[in-house]
Amino acid sequence: MIEFYPQIKMLHVTTVVASGSLFLLRGLTLQAGEWGRWAMAAPVRYLSYSIDTVLLTAAFMLLTILPTAVYANGWLATKLVLLVVYVGLGTFALKRGRTKRVRLACFVAALATYATMFAIARTHDPLGPVRLLLA
Amino acid sequence: MNNAKRLWIGLTVLLAVSFGVLLWTGGEIHRKAPPMPETVVTEDGTVVFTRADIEQGRQVWQSIGGQQLGSIWGHGGYVAPDWTADWLHREAVATLDAWAREGYAVDDFASLLPEEQAYLSRRLQDRIRLNTYDADTGTITIDADRAAAMAEVAGHYDRLFGADAELGDLREAYAMKNDTVPDAAHRASLAAFYWWSAWAAVTERPGKEITYTNNWPAESLVGNEPPASAYLWTVFSVLFLIAGIALLGWHHARSGEEERPDKLPESDPLAMTVVTPSMRATAKYFWIVIALFLVQILLGAMTAHYQVEGQELYGFAISDILPYSLTRTWHTQLAVLWIATAWLGTGLYIAPAISGHEPKFQRLGVNLLWVCLLVIVVGAFAGQWLAVMQKLGLEHNFWFGHQGWEYVDLGRFWQWFLFIGLGLWLTLVGRALWPALRRRNESRPIVVLLFLSTVAIGLFYGAGLMWGEHTHLSMVEYWRWWVVHLWVEGFFEVFATAVIAFLFTRLGLLKVSTATVAVLFATIVFMAGGVLGTLHHLYFAGTPTAVLALGASFSALEVVPLAYIGFEAWHTYKLGHATPWMARYRWPILFFTAVAFWNLVGAGLFGFLINPPLPLYFMQGLNLTPLHGHTALFGVYGMLGVGLMLFCLRGMKPAAEWSEPVLRTCFWSLNIGLAGMALMTLLPIGVLQLIAAIKHGYWYARSAEFMQQPLIDLLVWMRVPGDVIFSVGAMALAWFVARLWIAPRKPAPVGAAGQETARS
Ligand code: HEM
Ligand SMILES: [Fe+2]
Repeated sequence: MIEFYPQIKMLHVTTVVASGSLFLLRGLTLQAGEWGRWAMAAPVRYLSYSIDTVLLTAAFMLLTILPTAVYANGWLATKLVLLVVYVGLGTFALKRGRTKRVRLACFVAALATYATMFAIARTHDPLGPVRLLLA
Repeated sequence: MNNAKRLWIGLTVLLAVSFGVLLWTGGEIHRKAPPMPETVVTEDGTVVFTRADIEQGRQVWQSIGGQQLGSIWGHGGYVAPDWTADWLHREAVATLDAWAREGYAVDDFASLLPEEQAYLSRRLQDRIRLNTYDADTGTITIDADRAAAMAEVAGHYDRLFGADAELGDLREAYAMKNDTVPDAAHRASLAAFYWWSAWAAVTERPGKEITYTNNWPAESLVGNEPPASAYLWTVFSVLFLIAGIALLGWHHARSGEEERPDKLPESDPLAMTVVTPSMRATAKYFWIVIALFLVQILLGAMTAHYQVEGQELYGFAISDILPYSLTRTWHTQLAVLWIATAWLGTGLYIAPAISGHEPKFQRLGVNLLWVCLLVIVVGAFAGQWLAVMQKLGLEHNFWFGHQGWEYVDLGRFWQWFLFIGLGLWLTLVGRALWPALRRRNESRPIVVLLFLSTVAIGLFYGAGLMWGEHTHLSMVEYWRWWVVHLWVEGFFEVFATAVIAFLFTRLGLLKVSTATVAVLFATIVFMAGGVLGTLHHLYFAGTPTAVLALGASFSALEVVPLAYIGFEAWHTYKLGHATPWMARYRWPILFFTAVAFWNLVGAGLFGFLINPPLPLYFMQGLNLTPLHGHTALFGVYGMLGVGLMLFCLRGMKPAAEWSEPVLRTCFWSLNIGLAGMALMTLLPIGVLQLIAAIKHGYWYARSAEFMQQPLIDLLVWMRVPGDVIFSVGAMALAWFVARLWIAPRKPAPVGAAGQETARS
């Protein structure tokens, strides 16, 4: 399957961007109040599930075809931990947060987590974001 | 004469004629089957194989899982090659290579000029297709060149089924364990059997220009191409299908709207059902259904994984303890077993409910049958494990080990046990129903019809007892499809229609007279194509051309009722909303709607895709077959099993509140997961294989060379998301059932306004 590495990786990155953008849009509309219903409409939710399923599938494919040495410094483990945090914050930002303030805080925190994960993934380094900031 | 009576007579006549013709065809298959030679000798008299070799070879083949590991004449598993096509190709290439070396002083056949290749290939065709079987002496005579080529191929098989290190990669590609057959003498006889299957595939019938297998498999080196009859009957079968659709459309147009009951019940009539002790005892049938279903999925995942890593599971040498052949055997067998268990439970649950009569010792019988089923599953599976691990020996394999016939792999002892178990089931259902069967009221006909379809399901398993240990391969295939085909495309369809219509009459939503006529009519339509349609599995199983003609024509008619299944689905769905309290049955009804959907897609479309002789000539044993198998078997009968189970659980726990999100997850995950697996993996691989088979011959589409391409590997991986979603659905179902017993939700009112699930 390594023959398809470039395609799978592109799929993964594309869906990462799509997933993040959709989250951003949903979070913003929700904050905007009036349009908030749109963010949780069934088609939008299902679109989001579908994108994330494709994203994760591609991720698992990459995981199985790359040599394990690539993950030696722990960047992937860090990213996965952050993924859980991101998902948790995300549900609070869109659904579970009781007040508008909580939802907003979670939304901002989730976006920050997303950005951190993005940086870690690009640099293949758990301290990637720091390095990017210092560079 | 009233309408129903006319239909009963019509059905009886139809069944008598169809089964008469089917039995006659069986006789023809028996008479025209490829002969088993007493000896295979070379021109100078050296004995190459004897009948005993070939027969023992078949036993060895059965003991390692038979059709579960690779296939013969296109029937069987999909990861290892089709041994018939593989042998044929290897023997042809070995001969041609030898001739190229001798006559042209080149390394091999491939190095020759095209016209030289054409010349040699033509020479090969003339020799290899020639029928040298002498019926009087029972000998097949072969020339020295052929004997040499056969020895070479036999050597390859000896190394492949042993532990030769050089062929390790090939074994991995085929998902075969090392030392699949540890005994060298057994490997030699296995080769004799494979050779015989290839001999039948390439030898022309006396006085004809087609081989015993109607020229199957496609192989240009030996001149195997689709016979004229395949083209002819393909076209005719499409014609019959269109004609059938037109005819049934006309009938529907003419018969118009059905009568509805004058007054719909105010509240759920079944909520008042008294749950008797024997009915309550069926709960454990449904627990077992869940357990078997989950195990089946796990084994399916392992079987699929073997396609990627032939011997290991993430570094663990799994094939040493649970080889592919076993995971596939159990996966396919559990499919039938859990679905059957769901139906058995349903029958036992509804019989006393219908008649309002709890016979003496009924509960004891229900419990006893349940224990028997467990013993059968555990015992039969243990025997199969011992067989495939080659610990059982050949002597007891047929009775207690692995018969190797896909879907009827149980050892004969366990087959008998199951048959008796089915008899016990019919007795239990019959005696509980008895008062209702005798009562001369208006609901009697539909009860009778439902009961007859269950009797047929039980009895027809008996066809699986018709062959013996050494019965001719063609005849075993004939009887095997009596069980598998007549079940799924005959009596199961009837049972599905009857049981759903019946449940609606019990709910007071359908008039019994209307339902009876509709079910009788549907039965006639299903049986008209279904009985002789059996022969569509036997086009290339060493059978005469009549089989191809009859099979293609009648099986096309099977698709006719499926083309109108949308009516059925809409009808079901509408009845699901007929009264407010029907919301209690929202999920069983949705599963019944899914049954209709997959009947159209899985059975109708994907079934017809592979059904006419010309397509099947190339497609059988390619991934298009499991495409149809999965979407039809799970899609139709799996969904029906789940729907029926939910229906019974509704009655068994009338007051329980059903968790909407859990059931929604279950329903949609099962459907989307099934579609994902079918569309992301099985369909694309199948199409790629089809192109390969048409272009390069059937052997190539099944070869390691083809199946190990990166693209195929990728497509196999693509089923992971679908499979995961599907598993989530199964786990949601398990969770739902468990919660009915463990810490159930608080009860909700039952009456006219039973709104507990009407949140939609
Ligand atoms: C709900 C009904 C049906 C079920 C459950 C069902 C199930 C199956 C199964 C399990 C197989 C064996 C697949 C394998 O070997 O892996 C099979 C084979 C086949 N089915 Fe069906 N089937 C149904 C209806 C139909 C219909 C309506 C047609 C077409 C008219 C059809 C045509 C075929 C053919 C031609 C094969 C043979 C493939 C071969 O020889 O390899 N089936 N079916
Ligand atoms: Fe069939």
